[in-house]
Amino acid sequence: MITFKNIHKSFGDNEVLKGINASVPTGSVTVILGPSGSGKTTLLRSINFLEKADRGEIILDDLHIDVEKVTKQEIHEIRQRTAMVFQSYNLFKNKTALENIMEGLIVVKKISKAEAKEKAIIFLEKVGLGSKGDFYAHQLSGGQQQRVGIARALALNPDVILFDEPTSALDPELVGEVLEVMKKIAQEVNCTMIVVTHEIGFAREVADHVIFMDGGVIVEEGTPEQVLGAPKNERTKQFLARYVSFTEYNI
Amino acid sequence: MNSIIDPYFLMEIFLKLLGYIPMTLGLAITSMVLASILGLFMLIIRMKKIPVLSKLAELYVLFGRALPTMIILYIVFFALPIALMIFAEKTGQKIEINQVPAVVFAVIGLTIHTGAYLTEVFRAAVQSVDKGQMEAAYSIGMTWWQGFYRIIFRQASVFAMPLMANQFLNLIKSTSIAFMITVMELFGAANVICADNNRYLEVYIVVAFIYWGMSVLFEKLFLVAEHKLAVFKKGSNL
Repeated sequence: MITFKNIHKSFGDNEVLKGINASVPTGSVTVILGPSGSGKTTLLRSINFLEKADRGEIILDDLHIDVEKVTKQEIHEIRQRTAMVFQSYNLFKNKTALENIMEGLIVVKKISKAEAKEKAIIFLEKVGLGSKGDFYAHQLSGGQQQRVGIARALALNPDVILFDEPTSALDPELVGEVLEVMKKIAQEVNCTMIVVTHEIGFAREVADHVIFMDGGVIVEEGTPEQVLGAPKNERTKQFLARYVSFTEYNI
Repeated sequence: MNSIIDPYFLMEIFLKLLGYIPMTLGLAITSMVLASILGLFMLIIRMKKIPVLSKLAELYVLFGRALPTMIILYIVFFALPIALMIFAEKTGQKIEINQVPAVVFAVIGLTIHTGAYLTEVFRAAVQSVDKGQMEAAYSIGMTWWQGFYRIIFRQASVFAMPLMANQFLNLIKSTSIAFMITVMELFGAANVICADNNRYLEVYIVVAFIYWGMSVLFEKLFLVAEHKLAVFKKGSNL
């Protein structure tokens, strides 16, 4: 279970998070929706301290972090227990697909090279890229890179995987393959997923919980049926009306 | 002796000057290695924003690049011994400053000069790496050092190679200034031969040819190193 308590964050004069309170149950798939600039990516990045919130608390099971008094040790620990999938993939450019997955296993999990390789192959196959192990990032398509990114995150067996707009940089034809992989792991792997996305179709089909954010606050949250099917808030209604019509993909 | 260029004399001094190549290259390579280490230290100090030290690093880069190499060599050669002597007197230790060969001062001076440039080269190289790479390293639980060494450093080194080659070729030529503080290297030896024989044209043609040869050799070597390091970029247009 991940809990946010009163998370605040400003960039200069611009207050992006205005006191976020929310919790995400273990093993659930939570989708955060919202217009650009609503603070959803910042919230996600504040979990693993790629963005340090100004104040508030982040609680991951037994790890209580008061953001203002956070230590290096705590940041390191929460990073070891989470993994992230990035909008721009961020595969290590100097490593092959297989080495990208092995990297964390060898350096962070300290398992032997041979064992890491075996494990990496399994995860690469899981995302349907068993034959691409020796390819470098620039030799793979965007969709393939993102699937390696997902395998890299999965292989570490984290408590939580954070997805930061994983399909936003992909062209429409490649979005499907990535969403399919995400859907598959949501069903097969018992790990918490927090997904920031604009894919409302994905939210409807896969999410257990939907959070709608706007202007740095949570406007509405609940099951996909509640939030997407029968939104109560005027802002949510407005957003969905504009969005659903042209950004829905079949997965 | 009436011809403008005497081919036998040309050959003779060429063979004589070959013997000074080890000194010139020794100066250049030693200074380059030390300057790379120094530059890397400065880079890390500045990246990690260590208080006080990072300000000092900035100051060093400023001065190291602002002063002519010759002045740095003079300061090191003339001022450092005095400073050491005062230090020795104050602490009562015995330092035999006269026994330190001039070549040591030359290496120190050239290192200071080159290190300042390399610090900037390394900074540019690190900045060329997308910041998402470090974020990815953090996200899988790596520490700053692990991410820096295993990811950033490897990618940045490809970018740095051509710039380092530049710097090294410059350094080979800068070693000729070491003659000013009595180090007998290629250019120094050439000057002595000039004075002994009163023939300038041949000597400078030969010495220019040798510098050219060394530069070409190292240009190629750096290119090979760059390709070796860039193995992960094969087929991409970078």
